[in-house]
Formats: sequence, structure tokens, C-alpha cells
Amino acid sequence: MSAVIETSKLSKWYGNVLGLSDVTLTIGPGILGLLGPNGAGKSTFFKLLTGQLKPSIGTVTVFGAPIRNNQRTFRRIGLCPEQDALYEELTGWEFLTNLLRLYGYGRAEIEARAERALETVELLEDRDRIVRGYSRGMRQRLKFAQAVAHDPEVVILDEPLSGLDPLGKRKLIRLIKDFGREGRTVLVSSHVLPEIEALTANIVLVHQGKILASGDIHYIRDLIDTHPHIVAVRSSAARTLAGHFVGEPYVHKVRFENGGELVLFETSNRDRFFERLTRYAADTASGVEEITSPDDNLQAVFDYLVGA
Amino acid sequence: MKSIREVFAFYAFYGRKTRRTLAFLLIALIPVAIATIFRFRQAFEGDGSYDGLYLFTNVIMTFFLQFLVLILTLFFGTSVLSEEVEGRTLTYLVTRPVSKAALLVGKYLAYSLIVSVLVWTGLVACFLILCFARLGEAQVWMVLLRYLGVLTLGILAYGAFFTFLGSFLKKSIMVGLIFSFGWENVIQYFPGSTQRFAIVHYLKSLLPGVLQSRGRFSFLTFRLNPTSWPVSILTLLLITAGFLTLAVLLFQSKEYNYED
Repeated sequence: MSAVIETSKLSKWYGNVLGLSDVTLTIGPGILGLLGPNGAGKSTFFKLLTGQLKPSIGTVTVFGAPIRNNQRTFRRIGLCPEQDALYEELTGWEFLTNLLRLYGYGRAEIEARAERALETVELLEDRDRIVRGYSRGMRQRLKFAQAVAHDPEVVILDEPLSGLDPLGKRKLIRLIKDFGREGRTVLVSSHVLPEIEALTANIVLVHQGKILASGDIHYIRDLIDTHPHIVAVRSSAARTLAGHFVGEPYVHKVRFENGGELVLFETSNRDRFFERLTRYAADTASGVEEITSPDDNLQAVFDYLVGA
Repeated sequence: MKSIREVFAFYAFYGRKTRRTLAFLLIALIPVAIATIFRFRQAFEGDGSYDGLYLFTNVIMTFFLQFLVLILTLFFGTSVLSEEVEGRTLTYLVTRPVSKAALLVGKYLAYSLIVSVLVWTGLVACFLILCFARLGEAQVWMVLLRYLGVLTLGILAYGAFFTFLGSFLKKSIMVGLIFSFGWENVIQYFPGSTQRFAIVHYLKSLLPGVLQSRGRFSFLTFRLNPTSWPVSILTLLLITAGFLTLAVLLFQSKEYNYED
């Protein structure tokens, strides 16, 4: 893999607070998903990659050169920041053309690029509306447009799908994938696993400023599938139900809540547990009213990986 | 230079569109309203106790020099960086192929132009209203040009100082207010060389004939030993360049982090 971005022992502290710790990565063309809960250090990582922050320790290079105060390299990078911040008193068109002006393009090229970018994110019809009046989804798309309008080789997208409706998400996912297919280096962050899953199989798991795992998404999926899961079953015959599962080797713990009508199973094999539970519920008068999986989320995986 | 020009064009455009500019335009027109009232009184009540040019060079200029220029440069100057940090739009600028020096200087120049236009508009309008009867005299126009020049130098010097303050302090407005209406308005009346630590001292030193002014409003333009005009102009330009340089150095080295 030809390295586009390289970090070595990259660390960042905010006073005594750890933002990012000892990140060594080599990133090449294609889409890389950065997955982690809020506050994990994803934005800090992106700010270090775009030279907005100085590393406390370690180095970042983009196209082989240090990035901080390196204006030449900024021409090759597009950033869609996480924060919902725009120049509120400008129209979408003015916002985009004024930012493109900073690349030194001529007037005709600025207009052509702005038009193409707005068309890409389907905002061309709303180009003359004041940004303040844009919906959350439109604002996200405008942020995306400013990140790609100058045709960068590296696109960094910090939570680009947040606030979008399902249709908007699907469209943006398609766009991002197109960028990846064109051979650009695309970095996307999210705290939602299915969003990242829809974009790429190549992911980095970040938690509390550290990289927990990186690689193929199936590996992460396996981690999720094999770590102990809590399954909560509400039943009018909770004790009978619990008794039925107690002896199973993949059920590690059983406990009751809500006056005994809610039974919580801890299982290391979720698929097998659900298969058995479904059969049991269908075959007997189990009184099963509700099945939930309270820890079936990313945080639970992170907690598991860090041994919390 | 091209980068500075592009940043300048961006913010000259953006600055025109903000509500803040409109609000300050209204403030800049306050002396115009005062001048209009004075002229009406003169016309309808025959109040001829003060000559229009006298009021222009004393009362109106004092308002511009010791209030309006300070207020406008304070709000525009400190916002050169702080509005980007507070509005969280700085990201869009610092990830473009434009040096931080060009960003800061370009925006400072754009905002200085906007402040200048606001000030010039008010001052020229006041001049036309108050000196209407003497518009045929060339020397009256020279007075206007000189005053416009002095105010422009003031805008540049104060603007640079407040740009530095905005890049240095988080709550720069409060410090700026204390500086403007505490330090600047008090220190200029100190005897000896202490007065030379106020920017307004050099601006007042460039004003024509204020030492000779007499009458009820003469205290407004009172000054102690003025500095010669070449030294005053040089000092004001050095103040401008010095504080802009400091602001650029701070901007280049400081991290502006508004999350995490």
C-alpha cells in the first residue's frame, strides 16, 4: 500500500486530559472508517491530520511532508468538520464560492467548481438561500460540498452522516464510496457501526484516545459476536424460562430484575442463544413478552475490548 | 500578496452582509443626526453661537476620535479571530492553502476598510451638513481631508491593537473596553511623557489647531505637549505593524481548540 498519510506514535494531551495516545498508522488510498464513541479521540485525530493541532508527541506526514502550516498540502486535502458551523449570513453559493476563492482560482473556475459541488450534493436549487435557513441535512451536505469542491486527493469526513435522514444518508454514502473508488484517500469517522459498515470494510476502532483494533470489519464483527452479550427477556413465566437455560454451556449468568418478571442472560454465543430462545418461545407457553439486548451497541464492544 | 487579496475580498464581502455592520452603521450616523438637529436649530431659531466648522472640528471629531473609532475597531478588530473561534468556522480557513499571516492580515484589512467606510460616511455627512455655507472654501475641504486621514490612521492602529488582543485573549472585549475608555481617555491627560503611551495622543497631535480652540467645548480637544507630525505618523504606523506582527505570530503558534 502506498502511504498517503503516516502517523508515528502520535499523541495529544489537552493539559492533563488525554486526547490521543500513541497512534501509529499508515493510510493509503481507499476508504478507511474511524469508529468510536463520542469523545473517543476521532476529531482530535482528524485535527492532527489537518494540522489544526500540534502533536504533543509523534509525527504526522501527508504525502510525505509534515502537515502543520503546510499550505501546499492543504490544496490536496478536503475536510468536512464535525461541528455544525457555517457562515450563517451567506447563501450556500456565497459560502462555497468564497471558500474556493482561497485556492486562487479564477472567477469562471470558482463558479464551475461551486456549481458542480452543489449539484453533487443536490443543493443547486437552494444555492441562493441563506445558510441559516438550511435544514440540518442541507447543512451537512453543504459542508461536504466545501470539502470536495476543489477536487482533493484526501477527503477527511468527521461524522458526515450525523443528522441526515435515511435517504440523505444513502445518497451521501454512495457519494463517499464513489470518491473511494476513484482512488482517493477517504477517512470517515462515525460512532455508529452500521454507518461505517455501509461505507467500508477497512476500519480503525478508537476508544479513549487509543486504537483498540484496526483492519477488516469482519474481525470487529467477530469481536462483537463472541463477546458476552446481555439479553433481557420479559416473561410471565420468567423462572421457568431461566431454568430452561441455566445448564446451557453458552449461558454464563442468569439474574432477575423488576420483581422477577425480567430475566437477564449473559451469553457468549448470541446466535445460538437466540435460536434456542426462539424455538422455546414457539414450542412452549413461555409467556415471553419482550426480548431486548441492552448492550448490543458499540460501547459494549469497546468496554469488552478494554476489559471494563 | 494574492492570498491576502483573496482573503480581503472574502471578508470585505462577508463583513458587508453581517447584521453587526448594519448596527454599527446606525451608530456611525448618530453624529449625523446631531449635526442635522444643530442645523435646524440654526436655521429656524437663529442660534448662531457656534460656527458649523467649529462644531465639526471639536464636538463631532471628538465623538469620532474618542468614541466611534474606538468602539468600531474594538468590535471589528477583536472579532478578526475570535468570531471564527467562537463561530467554529476557523476550521474552514486554516485548512485552505493560505498562510495564517495572509488570513489574519487580509481579514484585518477588510474589516479596517469596512470600519473606515462607516466612519468616512458619518464624518463626510456631518461635514456637509455643518459646513454647508462654507463649501466653496478650499481650506475647509483640506480640514476634512486631514481629519479623514487622522481617523484612518486611528482605525489602522486601534484595529491592529484589537486584532492582537482578540488573538491573545478569550474575553478580549472587556479588556478592550477598559483600554479604550479607561487607559486611552485618561492617560492622554497625564503630563510629561506618560501621555505618549496612549495612541490617541499621536492622533490628537496630528489635528490642526486644537490648542487654539476656545469656548465651551475646548476641553474635548485639550492636549498636552503634542508630538511632531512626522513622529506621530511614524509611531502610529509602527504600532499598526507591531501589533499585527504579534497577532500573526500568536495565530501561527497558538492552538484554537473548541471541542474535545
